Amino acid sequence: MKFRCEREALERALGLASRAVSTRGGSLPVLSGVHLALVGNELRITGSDLDLTISVGVEVAGDTDGITVLPAKLASDIVRAVADGKVEFAVEGEEAHISAGRSEFSLRVIPADEFPQLPEPAANAVQLDAAVFRDALRQVIPAASADDSRPILTGVLMAAESDGLRLVATDSYRLAVRDLPGTSVLTGDESVLVPSRSLNELARVLDAGAELTLRLGEHDATFEMAGARVTTRLIEGEFPNYRGLIPASQPNRLTVNRELLLDAVRRVRLLAQEATPVRLIMKPDILELVAVTQDVGQAHEAVDASYDGAELTVAFNPDYLLQGIDVTGGDEVTLETVDELKPALLRMVGSDEFLYLLMPVRVS
Amino acid sequence: MRLVIARCTVDYDGRLTAHLPTAIRLIMVKADGCVAIHADGGAYKPLNWMNAPNRLREEEGTWTVTNPKGEKLTIAMEEVLADSDHDLGIDPGLQKDGVESHLQELLAANPGALRHGFRLVRREYPTDIGPVDLLCRDDEGNAFAVEIKRRGEIDGVEQLTRYLDFLNRDPTLRPVRGVFAAQEIKPQAKVLATDRDIDWVVVDYDELRGIESDELRLF
Repeated sequence: MKFRCEREALERALGLASRAVSTRGGSLPVLSGVHLALVGNELRITGSDLDLTISVGVEVAGDTDGITVLPAKLASDIVRAVADGKVEFAVEGEEAHISAGRSEFSLRVIPADEFPQLPEPAANAVQLDAAVFRDALRQVIPAASADDSRPILTGVLMAAESDGLRLVATDSYRLAVRDLPGTSVLTGDESVLVPSRSLNELARVLDAGAELTLRLGEHDATFEMAGARVTTRLIEGEFPNYRGLIPASQPNRLTVNRELLLDAVRRVRLLAQEATPVRLIMKPDILELVAVTQDVGQAHEAVDASYDGAELTVAFNPDYLLQGIDVTGGDEVTLETVDELKPALLRMVGSDEFLYLLMPVRVS
Repeated sequence: MRLVIARCTVDYDGRLTAHLPTAIRLIMVKADGCVAIHADGGAYKPLNWMNAPNRLREEEGTWTVTNPKGEKLTIAMEEVLADSDHDLGIDPGLQKDGVESHLQELLAANPGALRHGFRLVRREYPTDIGPVDLLCRDDEGNAFAVEIKRRGEIDGVEQLTRYLDFLNRDPTLRPVRGVFAAQEIKPQAKVLATDRDIDWVVVDYDELRGIESDELRLF
């Protein structure tokens, strides 16, 4: 294998593919490497931990076709470190040579025949609006759980709705639901559960202007966009019945400017240390935010708001609240509540496409 | 243990200076000499304190606590509301819970916490090399051997692997799958368990005991 290419393009491709590389070692040491395959002028770089595979194509000046596997971190570090401009790459025997400017590196390669055969993407393909899909991912991914002991909750549910596609994520403390009307990916009552980690990586790769193609297989999903492919194993199991959690109506309704609320929570959160919550005191025309950390101090801020309902104080985990306000979008948001112990519903004013349901924290 | 409830001000002078304005507080003077000033809140943490060794000098309306580092705590008593002494005797020490036997007991009483549909066949199910913690069956009658640890490490997975080897020789049980349950599981143990097709479950001890967290859940 021998080729020449721009350092920047190679660095980007290696960096993206390396994000799927297994960092835990495991039973297949070859998975700590990135797989490089050169055919003509197209170099394809692939990293995988078998659950997630990221494959990125780069246009190069090819000399000799071939395949090899390089230690992922070292190869990325070298390409990132060398001078800008052309990088020359050649494999001879069991060594890869990387040279750029006056730098030369030789690296022991990993036998390429040990790299597992990765599944071919399913034939059925549907097109998605990349910008809309990326926006939807940004809204729901934070609500997915990072706790591997409940794998179902680490996934994002993609489910068919009568008028399109719905994305749902929950870690049992909050629930994020985003509807994508007019997006037909699944039909009937079909749904799949996609690891949020994979979708997070997809969101990084996804270029807003790009065409996005989704191929759903029985056990995996493949997202294809210009030059890159992200394949993820699907999570098997039944997602919680989230529909029953969404209240039909709530008597108290606070309407507030989203940016003002976001900034106020950010400031008050400074005094919500040691897992203490932020209290929202809702009164007509005013929202007060209070955080108290024993032996440290307290913060108080008032925000103009319109409030329809009984005077109420509800406390929330500040990080969960902040993430919810951040991803809800729009100029104004509403926070609908029943009492201090029931879930609160956060929405953007004038849009029903996204909702964020958040459980309060009990305070004395 | 001497307990004094008093309206007082407190001044600390040492590495820094701190002032507690007038309020009613609880002053604890422990048998070992520690002095701690508590408010009616803030869990276990005193507002101010002076560890032993120290010297407590009581004068009319003022207590002064000093220590060899030159730190000084001055408590100005405005009104003493209660002052009592209690002999607490010798403390037996902290008995930490979360032990494996209690976890085993709790999971035996509620095997569904491990997996929906699990029912208990027997605790301490015997094998030729010792008993496995729990033997359960799922909705479809499949057998599962459960090994329970407080901290899940590679050794525990190895132990469960040996039990499974013996249990799978029993034609009335096989195939028997393994479930490795612990309060926390090391990443290496998770990898080894997954590699051996053993499920692992992190169990929440407080939740099993029914202790309510302040952080409420949707489900």
